[in-house]
Order: sequence, then structure tokens, then C-alpha cells
Amino acid sequence: MTLHHYLILAAVLFCVGLIGVFTRRNAIVVLFSVEIMLNAANLNFIAFWRYSENPALLHGPLFTLFAIAVAAAEVAVGLALVIAVYRHFKTVDLESMDTLREE
Amino acid sequence: MNEEIAFWMLSAIAVLGALVAVRKRNLIHGVFALMVFFAGLAGLFLLLLAEFIAAAQILVYIGAVGILLLFAIMLTERVAGDDGRRMTSRGWFWGLVAAVAVFVVLLLPPIQQFPSPEHARAIEPSVKELGEKLMHPYVVTLEVLALLLTAALIGAVTAAQGVRMPKEEDSPE
Repeated sequence: MTLHHYLILAAVLFCVGLIGVFTRRNAIVVLFSVEIMLNAANLNFIAFWRYSENPALLHGPLFTLFAIAVAAAEVAVGLALVIAVYRHFKTVDLESMDTLREE
Repeated sequence: MNEEIAFWMLSAIAVLGALVAVRKRNLIHGVFALMVFFAGLAGLFLLLLAEFIAAAQILVYIGAVGILLLFAIMLTERVAGDDGRRMTSRGWFWGLVAAVAVFVVLLLPPIQQFPSPEHARAIEPSVKELGEKLMHPYVVTLEVLALLLTAALIGAVTAAQGVRMPKEEDSPE
């Protein structure tokens, strides 16, 4: 296995997440598509670390650990916002949240 | 040889899980597919000898984030997904085109031009050093992260609780 296999896999996963963000209307699906993209980035960190000159420095796992913690905080706040929006609009459909749009 | 078989199987699991999660109409099924994706990714981390990150991935993502998503789905509207309505957004076609274009134009060429180190170096199991590094050079980051998680917890509770409308003011007696 070379580094390229992992990089291309991470790019594919990132784009799958991007497809979810761009094509779905449900706010929760969009949120977990963002999670897929973040995980693809984590895979890149780990792959670069594994094939780096000096893996003993452990930069990759440390950064990934911090990224996982920030992503967990992000998903908690994001879902709380989705619930707050649901209470207001009675829907999680992103296309019906268009109050700011000029008609 | 074994590593190659494991890589292809795990990447197939991860990609298929992600695709099903993104395209499934039923949200509950989508979250379970997402858990399969996280598990495949944890396997890939193990393959790259990042055993602590694999464990953290399973604990944080499959354990916490998956359950949190399930609860959010159950707290909001229909569990079975967007029945009878359009699942995709209005500009879904151009979204699809944009996503594929990001892959083909932006991500693939730099990856292919990147000089690939063919061999991974042998490394020792690294959990002990990881803990020591978290305590010695990265202790400030760790504390800031703890602060961030606390703030996120309080913020999530506040946001989910909603604003109380002052309908019944305490009348002065």
C-alpha cells in the first residue's frame, strides 16, 4: 500500500460527503455529511503521519485527536441548533428555511 | 498481501457506508450506514498503526455521535425520512456536478503529482508516547480543548432549550 491509495480514498470519501451536503435537503443529513468530510481529513492526517520521515514525533495522531474533539463539539452544537430551528419552523427541511431570502 | 486485502475491504466498507448514509431516504438507516462508515475508517486507522485513534474513533463517533444523531432524528419530525416529498434539494444536479468537479479538478491532480513514499517505516506502539506528548508540549492545547468542550456543552444545552417566552410575568402582588 502506498500513500497514494490512502490519499485517493480520502478524496473519494470527502467528495461523497460533499455530494451529501450539496444534494440533500434534510439538515441532519447535511450535518452528518460534514462529519464524513471531517473524517476523510482525519484519514489524510493519519496517512501522511504513517508515511512521514519521522513518525515518532506523533504529529498525525495528536492533530487527529484534537480534530475529533472539535468535531464532537461541532456535532453537539449543530444538532442543538437543528432542534432549535425545528422548534421554530416545525421542519428540518433546509429549503423551507428561507426567511432571509428576498422575495 | 494481507495488508492489501484488508485495505481494499475496509475502503469498500467505508465508501459504501458513506454512499448509503448520504443517499438513503430513511434517516435511521442512514445513521446506521454512517456507523458502518465510521467502523471501516477505524479499521483503516488500525491498518495505519494508529491504534489509539482507532479506539477514539469507535468511542467518539460510533458511541457518542451516532447516538446523538439518532436522538436528534427522533426529536425532530418524521423518523422514516422524507416520505412523499422530494429528498434532494432544488439544485441537486449542479451540486452533484460541483462535488465531482472538486474531486476531478481540485483533489486528484495534486495527489497524483505528490511524490509518493513507497514504504512506511516501522514504528513502535505509540499510546504511551501519545499520552506523554499530550502532557508535555501539548498541555495548553489539551486545556483549551477541555474549555471548548465545556463551552460546547453549555451552548448546546442553551440552544436546544430554546428561548423562554415571557408569557406570564410575575404580577406584583
